[in-house]
Amino acid sequence: MPFDPSQIPIVQIVFFVMTACAIGGAIGVVSSPNLFHSALYLVLSLFGVAGYYVLLSAGFLAVVQLMVYVGAIAILILFAIMFARRLMGQGENQNNQQWWLSLPIVMILFAVLVGVVNTVSWPVSGAEPTGDTVMELGHAFLGSYLIPFEVVSILLSVALIGGIFLAREKVEAEEA
Amino acid sequence: MLQEFEFLGVLGAITLTIPVVTLIIAWLLRPKKPNPAKQETYESGIKTIGDTWVQFKAQYYIYAIIFVVFDIEAVFLFPFAVALRQLPLYSLIWAIVFIVLLFDGLLYGWRKGALHWN
Amino acid sequence: MPIEIPTLNIAALTPFLAVTVTAFVVMFFELFVNDKRILGYLSLLGLAVAAISSVMLLGVSPAPAFQEMAISDGYALVLNLIFIVTAALSILISLSYLGDRALQRGEYYALLLFSTGGMMLMGAATDLIVVFMGLEIMSIALYVLAAFNRRKMGSGEAGMKYFILGAFASAFFLYGVALVYGATGSTNLSAIGNWFTSGGGDLTDPIALVGLSLLLVGFAFKIAAVPFQWWTPDVYQGAPTSVTAFMSVGAKAAGFAALVRLLMVSFGQAFTLDWQIAVAALAVVTMTGGNIAALAQKDIKRMLAFSSIAHAGYILVGVVPGTIDGVQAVLFYLMGYAFMNIGAFAVVAVLEHRVAISSAIEEYAGLAARKPLLAAAMLLFMVSLTGLPPFVGFWGKLYVFRAAVEANMSWLAVVGVINSAISAFYYLGVVVQMYMRPAAATEDGEEVVPISLSGPVTITLAVAVIITVILGIWPTPLVNLTSLAVFG
Repeated sequence: MPFDPSQIPIVQIVFFVMTACAIGGAIGVVSSPNLFHSALYLVLSLFGVAGYYVLLSAGFLAVVQLMVYVGAIAILILFAIMFARRLMGQGENQNNQQWWLSLPIVMILFAVLVGVVNTVSWPVSGAEPTGDTVMELGHAFLGSYLIPFEVVSILLSVALIGGIFLAREKVEAEEA
Repeated sequence: MLQEFEFLGVLGAITLTIPVVTLIIAWLLRPKKPNPAKQETYESGIKTIGDTWVQFKAQYYIYAIIFVVFDIEAVFLFPFAVALRQLPLYSLIWAIVFIVLLFDGLLYGWRKGALHWN
Repeated sequence: MPIEIPTLNIAALTPFLAVTVTAFVVMFFELFVNDKRILGYLSLLGLAVAAISSVMLLGVSPAPAFQEMAISDGYALVLNLIFIVTAALSILISLSYLGDRALQRGEYYALLLFSTGGMMLMGAATDLIVVFMGLEIMSIALYVLAAFNRRKMGSGEAGMKYFILGAFASAFFLYGVALVYGATGSTNLSAIGNWFTSGGGDLTDPIALVGLSLLLVGFAFKIAAVPFQWWTPDVYQGAPTSVTAFMSVGAKAAGFAALVRLLMVSFGQAFTLDWQIAVAALAVVTMTGGNIAALAQKDIKRMLAFSSIAHAGYILVGVVPGTIDGVQAVLFYLMGYAFMNIGAFAVVAVLEHRVAISSAIEEYAGLAARKPLLAAAMLLFMVSLTGLPPFVGFWGKLYVFRAAVEANMSWLAVVGVINSAISAFYYLGVVVQMYMRPAAATEDGEEVVPISLSGPVTITLAVAVIITVILGIWPTPLVNLTSLAVFG
């Protein structure tokens, strides 16, 4: 039988690779003894999620995921860890004495969510994904989602003032 | 959609393969005779000073915050820019409002010396 | 692609815009004004504009704004007034409190106004996305405000704890939104409601119900309901007292605002079918847990924190029946609670030592002899919080319990009354300290810390006392106001 490249289940392969990234990264975040490594695992996990967006035909979201989460927020987290010197490079157990208490609760939550996801019939839209999602988003932002769009800038301003206000203290302390 | 990202996927696979394969080959071929001097951290031939984990200035953090905020701003303005030709003129006003509000935040950071590097 | 021109109806959001624009103006002038108290008064001016526009909008028939993302119905407008009262009284406390501690900063007033704007958005939102945006604006501003006293360890700790647990709760909320959207295909509150009743939806659809329960977790955190209350005492104790006053009422009211609209408009039938009992259980554990924990407290801010948890429980009693009477009782309660609780925090702010961290209840000993009027005001707030006549707290409890009884849930009202009796122990404990214990003897050479009452905080106290008493004797005006609170 001749080799037929179109027979490769490429979507499945991509899906499994991305799932391995997302879940493996997430496990790494909560289990790594080094906080710095946890942050790097987080990048891996976020990267996996970006892959899902590609599979779901949401290319713009995938790029946003890489640009904002992997590009900016991960850097922010790394900086935050790096200026708190105590947290760096030390083996720290991430579990406290109450881990056995939270374990069954987490298992129950997991079981419930898996049960729900498996048993219900999800509403499926038969429509094909539209081609130009960025254009559609632009129309949505300035059309029916105008309030959230404008409010985002208020939210960002609040975060900006708050972040600068709190971090300035540290800078002033260093300069003094 | 996947087709659009086919090139990216191929590119990613290649860029990942080449260094990994090179490292594996190097690992297989190189002689393994460690001594203490070889094991030291390489710092341009100078003796290393202090700990590897140095504390960063908090200043970096403020920059990172400002960067994140304006990164997200860019994400929201990008679809607007793409759709601009098709949108009515007044939606330009809304985009300007969006930018002006954030500019107030930038002005605040600037005046408070958040952009000032010591 | 057709060009759709959205129906904006900006006028419907005037109160929100007034508050937010003022916040930006305050932030701008912060950079150029030296006397920051001016910014506090400017904020009060913005709140006054918002209050006037809310009252004026009450006379206009409700209209959806911004493509049915928000609405200015009676419910949202009455809530606006509650938020405005809370913010204004807190700003008056802050003007004194911050000045004493060299914390007088423009950012404070800007963030407080932003937070108020977020609350208004939550009250007016008719779409889960807008609810979430309001929630985040309110919360992020509150995280920073809680950590505002940067020189004090406890304040930073408060901000950190609030932030981490708050972000956690937001994640639950978002997950809930995602599941509800997945089930119903919409984030619009009335569209979700229509899906249940006529759009082929199922009242026991598991995805929607798991989504609702996750949303409930998010809200329960914001209103500090047991078992999502763990952050409350530490945050309330560590945050600057003026901030604690603001968030103990404002954040709670905003959480209830969005929760009640969600339950009534979107989940109306599903709610009365299965979920009443869950919310009732939440109410019972919240009341009881808050009151019992409050009994053991030695610090007045922690005690008031647990008391605020207990009050969240009483208010939930008004939510359980799912009737419009219950909703109006909730709003009555929240408005009354704003005056009496902020009044109590105003007393705490006045008495709090400038240097020491302590706000121990023991230090209230002998207050009646030193400052009879201040002690009398505290007495009044404590009695009103207990729910005894003739103060506004009594009517608040009466109305929420009556709503429960009318919905054939008398047992819930009984639990509430028993809890009110328990709460009397710790509220009156403060009164006993003030009136019956002598002040701790001062050691030789130690000076008695003078109690200074400056102008703005005195206004808060006076307003809180007068309203608590007047509405206690004559609650009709507030009853009439809350009866305007209907969903549009």
